[in-house]
Amino acid sequence: MNKRADDSPEGVSRRHFLKGAGAAAAVVTVAKIPSVTEAGQEVSDDPVIVGPGSISIRLKINGEIREVEAPPSTTLLDLLREHHAMTGTKRVCDRGSCGACTVLLDGRTVDSCSMLAIDAMGREITTVEGIGTPENLTDLQKAFVEKDALQCGFCTPGMVVSCTALLNQNPTPDRDQIRQGIAGNICRCGTYQNIIEAVEHASRKGGK
Amino acid sequence: MKPFKVALPGSIEQASSLQQSSDVPFIAGGTDLLARIKEYITTPEMVVDLKRIGGLGEITSTDHGVRIGALVTMNDVATNLQVKEGFAALAETIGNAATPQIRNMATIGGNICQKPRCWYLRHEGYSCAKNGGSGCWARDGENEFHAIFGNQVCAMTQPSNVAPVLVAYGASIEIQSSVESLEKREVPADQFFLTPEQDPTREVALKPGEIVTAVLLPAKNRTEKWSYTEAREKQSFDWAQASVTVLYQRGGRRGDHRVVLGAVSPAPLRRADLEQIIAAGELDADCIQALQKKIGEGSTPLSQNGYKVPMLRGLMAKAIRKLNGEKKEG
Repeated sequence: MNKRADDSPEGVSRRHFLKGAGAAAAVVTVAKIPSVTEAGQEVSDDPVIVGPGSISIRLKINGEIREVEAPPSTTLLDLLREHHAMTGTKRVCDRGSCGACTVLLDGRTVDSCSMLAIDAMGREITTVEGIGTPENLTDLQKAFVEKDALQCGFCTPGMVVSCTALLNQNPTPDRDQIRQGIAGNICRCGTYQNIIEAVEHASRKGGK
Repeated sequence: MKPFKVALPGSIEQASSLQQSSDVPFIAGGTDLLARIKEYITTPEMVVDLKRIGGLGEITSTDHGVRIGALVTMNDVATNLQVKEGFAALAETIGNAATPQIRNMATIGGNICQKPRCWYLRHEGYSCAKNGGSGCWARDGENEFHAIFGNQVCAMTQPSNVAPVLVAYGASIEIQSSVESLEKREVPADQFFLTPEQDPTREVALKPGEIVTAVLLPAKNRTEKWSYTEAREKQSFDWAQASVTVLYQRGGRRGDHRVVLGAVSPAPLRRADLEQIIAAGELDADCIQALQKKIGEGSTPLSQNGYKVPMLRGLMAKAIRKLNGEKKEG
């Protein structure tokens, strides 16, 4: 149904392609998928079985309800990047070891590569796109710029998400707590020192 | 990743009846299974998603102790007050395991059912006693992180950090299945984790259709004096090379001590001989020396993992110093 964005013919932008694919998919009817937040509330006589073809997946991303057709075996990361064209969340190891794909689920950091998108139904997803904008950076993002907390920048979205969650939970972390907070995010350029300084800087300013 | 069907059962009964064979895996947190599917180590037609089953996501206190639902995340176990008060070694072992993200996703039920990290088992090109072939590639191959005890049939190490701690606390694993008409059975942790001699193809005592529904920590084994020490190569996203769990006067009973070694054998290794040394005298330098002398006994290191014996001696000493409240690292 929904071809992978990589298969799109040349000259067709990903965004246009996805719009077209979404319209074509709208005719498909699918069983209602219970969300994880309704666990045990309504038990149907027979278990819902979906896939391997596309189904409608409805998620709340950065406060906005968004629906797209995708196979139920799609990870949250691939759904964000390839079906919603939200490419701020990065795909690096795809095995939960590097943290480049970190998003918030109900305020907690998770590796979006290592969970099914359908298991995020009914929950609040926050991606890096939902944390500040280029015109209106958060204090933490400003601190990343000021403290030179990036080199190649590929780990940065995941770092920003993890550090945002850290400051939400603990507005005045010490150095050890910051190290613990980013223990799931790898920076191959080795800019950890500046990232730690950026978090301290944002913390001093009382921002997030 | 090969697309697969996802079953979304709303009850244990439905989930259980969907799994007729191990070719239909259960998924909870997904951190282990999805990685194995991406590597084509397993290519299921369907996975059974347990996340919509009610009653598995809470930690509750009962007269018998603490009941941790199978779907509770590792982070929620580690930060739970009842766990931290009576069963602090469990909170400690989870505290630094994997990464913050994984601890927010992975469930306690999934953690104790995760597949071994043996690189031969996790390579699509090898088959061994564990997956339909015979023998163990690691015994004569690359075995740096493999077992030094009980490694004759298969040299895997039990990958769950919490497994040895659960054995030490005398925890039970609550299991349900529709095959046994939904009757719950409770398996003591020391019988839940299997050795390759018991069954090389299974690491845990689950039959097809059986689901871990809870981990039960018995109130009578709440312990004040404990230590958990572990060595690993990296601070994050890594597994222990060796660990030592010590519960001193378990449940406040004089003479009831537990010493369980982790990551050095296919199943957590309780060491009654070391417990007797602790029971025989004071927690002093003589005790440490006697424990260090004994701890390697019975080990059969392979070509690359002999270092685990002196590593255990170091961890054992550190464990006793921690019991004494000494902060000195080393």
